[in-house]
Amino acid sequence: MTGEDSAEPTITLRRSVGSATATATSAGLAFAAIDYLGVVSILAYAPGATAAFAILIGGLVVILVSAIFSELNGLYPTAAGIRLYLGRAIGNRTALSVTFTYMTTVVLVIAADAFLIGAAVRHVLNEPAVLAYVWIAVLLGIALAANLRGVRLAGWVQTVVTYTVLAGTSVLSVVALFHVGGAFKRPLDLFGGGTFSGIQAVAFALFLYAAFEWVTTTAEEARSPKVITRALFIAPALIWIVASVFALALSHLVGFSTLHGSAYPQLLLGHAALGTVGELWMLALTVMTALNTFNGGFLVASRFIYAAAREGNLPRQFARLNMNAVPWLAVTTLAGVSAATAAVVFATGEWLLLVSVGAAIECAIYAVGSLCLLILRSRVDRKRPFKMIAGRPLAVFGVVLFSLLFVATAFADPKNSRHFSVAPFTVIAILGSISTAYVLLVVPKLQRAAAARSAAARPRRRPTRPSPKDSDSNQVLGE
Amino acid sequence: MADWNELSEALADYTISCNENERLRKMQRDWSRVLHFVCSDTAQNFSMDVDRGEIVSVRESHVGVPDIVVTATSETFCDMFWGDLNPVQKYLRGEIIVKGSQEDVMRLDAISYVIWPDS
Repeated sequence: MTGEDSAEPTITLRRSVGSATATATSAGLAFAAIDYLGVVSILAYAPGATAAFAILIGGLVVILVSAIFSELNGLYPTAAGIRLYLGRAIGNRTALSVTFTYMTTVVLVIAADAFLIGAAVRHVLNEPAVLAYVWIAVLLGIALAANLRGVRLAGWVQTVVTYTVLAGTSVLSVVALFHVGGAFKRPLDLFGGGTFSGIQAVAFALFLYAAFEWVTTTAEEARSPKVITRALFIAPALIWIVASVFALALSHLVGFSTLHGSAYPQLLLGHAALGTVGELWMLALTVMTALNTFNGGFLVASRFIYAAAREGNLPRQFARLNMNAVPWLAVTTLAGVSAATAAVVFATGEWLLLVSVGAAIECAIYAVGSLCLLILRSRVDRKRPFKMIAGRPLAVFGVVLFSLLFVATAFADPKNSRHFSVAPFTVIAILGSISTAYVLLVVPKLQRAAAARSAAARPRRRPTRPSPKDSDSNQVLGE
Repeated sequence: MADWNELSEALADYTISCNENERLRKMQRDWSRVLHFVCSDTAQNFSMDVDRGEIVSVRESHVGVPDIVVTATSETFCDMFWGDLNPVQKYLRGEIIVKGSQEDVMRLDAISYVIWPDS
């Protein structure tokens, strides 16, 4: 993989995003509260230190994703990101269908974070289980109100929050590893006693890095395309370090039988390492992850809905703006769907299913990204700010590898690594079918209605000017 | 290709439409930005200064440090400022290229949407 200097002149904006902020954005989008559960899912297939090995392999695989998205981002540095790559590579309808499905992961992550934080707060306050849903509603209510008022986290706040969460999780994990009678005195204990099931473990490890590529949506405010490229390579390295030490500490101090029935493994680790102080420490970090998830998630998804409505692909009501220039119906719908999803998770206790679904969708998106690169290498002969070495064979490899990992996660049952489950695939198939049916059946009607409305509303405003041909013929006639 | 006369005519109409729209002015009350525009086909550049939602000046060159840089063909700009096209459609097709924050990109489109909801 190599970088090439862009021929285009660099335009300096008054406020632009540099490498540190872009890296924090990438890592912050990826590292949500659900990642703590993601580690538990890995431990189901890779016990003890083998989990860290799976996370390492996942990180190496993510380098390929970083390179693919770096090249695509250099080619089309836009917030429309995957929508535009897909549109140019495969066509608009497919792009829309895939992007709608992709956006459901945002809802899943928001819902999961709301649920997990609600459950964690309830646990620490020792409240009845049912109060967890009250906390979920409160959290989503605060996020909704802040978004409707147009409140955004400043870039520096987002950066501080992300690095605090990553550093705080790492420090507590290292403290846990040095715990009395700790891992380094009996290192072989780290290898646990279960069976390493490589493919599923790596696939779930990929989930820890999931959404790091969303940093490409900030490409338009980046100082240069290299800023996004750097973020795409550095953020996964940070997540790798944090997730590895967390997995090692977790597998060392907390038994898997306790972990797999818990929605707050990070609190169990905190308590095992430092008692109540450790538990409160991890609770604070968990709540902080919500700042990034709710801020970034609501922003990305609501603006996508706004753009889709403006384009005529969703009912135009979703583009309605309030007096803070916020698409209020899009934001409110997101909060409502997230609250409903969180309620379903709360009622069923199937939070690990969210991890499987999220992991599978991300693998599918990486396969699709690889396919886009492969097609656009043939179609678009333009100089790229970043170009992968051996891009075509690596893209083919990406399509095959991520498709395989998709199958591994879509049929996985993290609650019981010896069993397969069709539940994740069923959820994805339903989401994908709804998206596809909507794009094929509803979108054409919406677009016809929009075109008719536009034509009937008013004539073209721009004054018509005589074309050069008309002027010439008039001159001839005049002569 | 549209020349500067055509563009300035479109910009004049756009300025009036924006500044006379009370709802838009209220919505953009906290939005002060310097916008640079680049015509990809004619190399024509121009700037727009927005102060608390009001377009206070449009100049035929790049003035000041921009918050947003918009690149498109001169024809696209003309149609956009006359309200004859949907900027989002062009943006999603990569025909309008914007450098700036996501929030500013949306605000820019919101102007067209509020003035011409049927565009």
